[in-house]
Amino acid sequence: MGRRLNIVGAAVFVLGLGLWELVVRTGVLTFSYLPPPSDVAVGLGELFGSGELATALGHTLFAALTGWAIAAVLGVVAGSVLGLVRPVWTYAMASLEALRALPIVAFVPVAVLLYGFSVQTEIMVSCYAALWPILLNTVNGMRTEARMVESGRVLRLSPAAVLWKIRLPAATATIVVGLRLGLTTSLVLTLVAEMVGNPAGLGFLLVEKGQALQPGQMFAAVFVIGVTGIVLNGLVMGAARLAFRGQLASAGEA
Amino acid sequence: MISCDDLAVTLPGATGPVDILRGVRLTVEKGEFVSVLGTSGSGKTTLLRVLGGLQQATGGRVSCDGADIAGPPDGVVTVFQDYAHSLLPWRTVRRNVALGIEKLDRSERDVRVDEALDMVGLRDRANEYPWRLSGGMQQRVQIARALAMRPRVLLMDEPFGALDAMTKASLQDQLQAVQELTGTTVVFVTHDVEEAVYLSDRLVVLSGSPANIGLRLDVPIARPRDQIATKERADYLELRHQVYEALGHRVGERAHG
Repeated sequence: MGRRLNIVGAAVFVLGLGLWELVVRTGVLTFSYLPPPSDVAVGLGELFGSGELATALGHTLFAALTGWAIAAVLGVVAGSVLGLVRPVWTYAMASLEALRALPIVAFVPVAVLLYGFSVQTEIMVSCYAALWPILLNTVNGMRTEARMVESGRVLRLSPAAVLWKIRLPAATATIVVGLRLGLTTSLVLTLVAEMVGNPAGLGFLLVEKGQALQPGQMFAAVFVIGVTGIVLNGLVMGAARLAFRGQLASAGEA
Repeated sequence: MISCDDLAVTLPGATGPVDILRGVRLTVEKGEFVSVLGTSGSGKTTLLRVLGGLQQATGGRVSCDGADIAGPPDGVVTVFQDYAHSLLPWRTVRRNVALGIEKLDRSERDVRVDEALDMVGLRDRANEYPWRLSGGMQQRVQIARALAMRPRVLLMDEPFGALDAMTKASLQDQLQAVQELTGTTVVFVTHDVEEAVYLSDRLVVLSGSPANIGLRLDVPIARPRDQIATKERADYLELRHQVYEALGHRVGERAHG
């Protein structure tokens, strides 16, 4: 990944914003509730000033990250067991394939019914959403190159040492991919849960501002959601690079 | 001393069990360099894996210093041909070499790693990642990793098979020097006749199906040997001739198969 700022790319983005401003202001596009970017900026300022934004963002981040963290622990542990112990995989495979094929959104009303309009609903949904990519990537990552494991054996490493020094590090790059995918889906599903379930957080803010006919603030909420996703992904990648430099470098990811 | 007697190995194949080895008797004395030759698919690698405790024998007795082999024995280290999959790409050269001796305390470990890296001439590349090195260097890292264990027996499975001719020659000479220095017993699997004659004190040729040892040959050429003079000697050429014949080649006839 390049560290330099992509000037051309940034210019296109700014140009796009300018064009949007232009077509709305000149009346080329005549939607009743399509605000120009300047109104969105004003809306962002209002949300920020009233403190609504900080509360909503904090709530959503708490729910999404708690669910994701639980899923990370469950997914890596269960994925390791599934990947390493052949019989467990054989017994579990059919159930996993069936559950995985079920669109996660379908699970949201179920969670609402089970946990009510509460933050638990959001955490459950977030956790369930993140679990799949983390679990399946861990299972895949555990299919270590046979020769690598054999090398550990000829150097007289114990089975525990082979797991700790060879299998887990070999799986790290794949697991990190799962963690990143999981974070994205858990944020999305947390927002959905807030829209249809628990009336709190950025998801509810979005719906609320739409229904209050405040498009500037609504678009501002969309903008914040987008930036949150990018920042979270960047943070996970940065933390992973710090913690697992060698593993990611050898996988061409650093 | 590592040996097998009346060794038989049967492996599962696509159309039922396949007899790979039958009745193999081989004894390698302490400090000896013995090569195992054979055409591809003749069971050389299987024989080495049995000696290294990576493959169960179906019949016969396999032992190292009097103890039966079940699982990789202490002091016996296998070096594989595919260095790229044998090294851990997320560890630097130094930490790869230390992999087998991490139970030792730090200072002892450092001494051994430096010593092993010196033997293969890679001390100055210690902090590189292996995938940034050439194939020959990566194989030297794997050899250093084995040497850091201070093994009594090195089992090498076509270690230079994937390298170009010039790199191969220089690694052969390095291996000779290391063996002279450490007195390690070496069992060396190869399909390269010149390499086997050049390096060995003794060599055996596997043939037949299931395979058994078809030819045993002593190589009484004085050491140190060198790539030019040794390979021009009449006795070297005569031994080379015998091995080719044992592998099924005839003078004036083209190789086939």
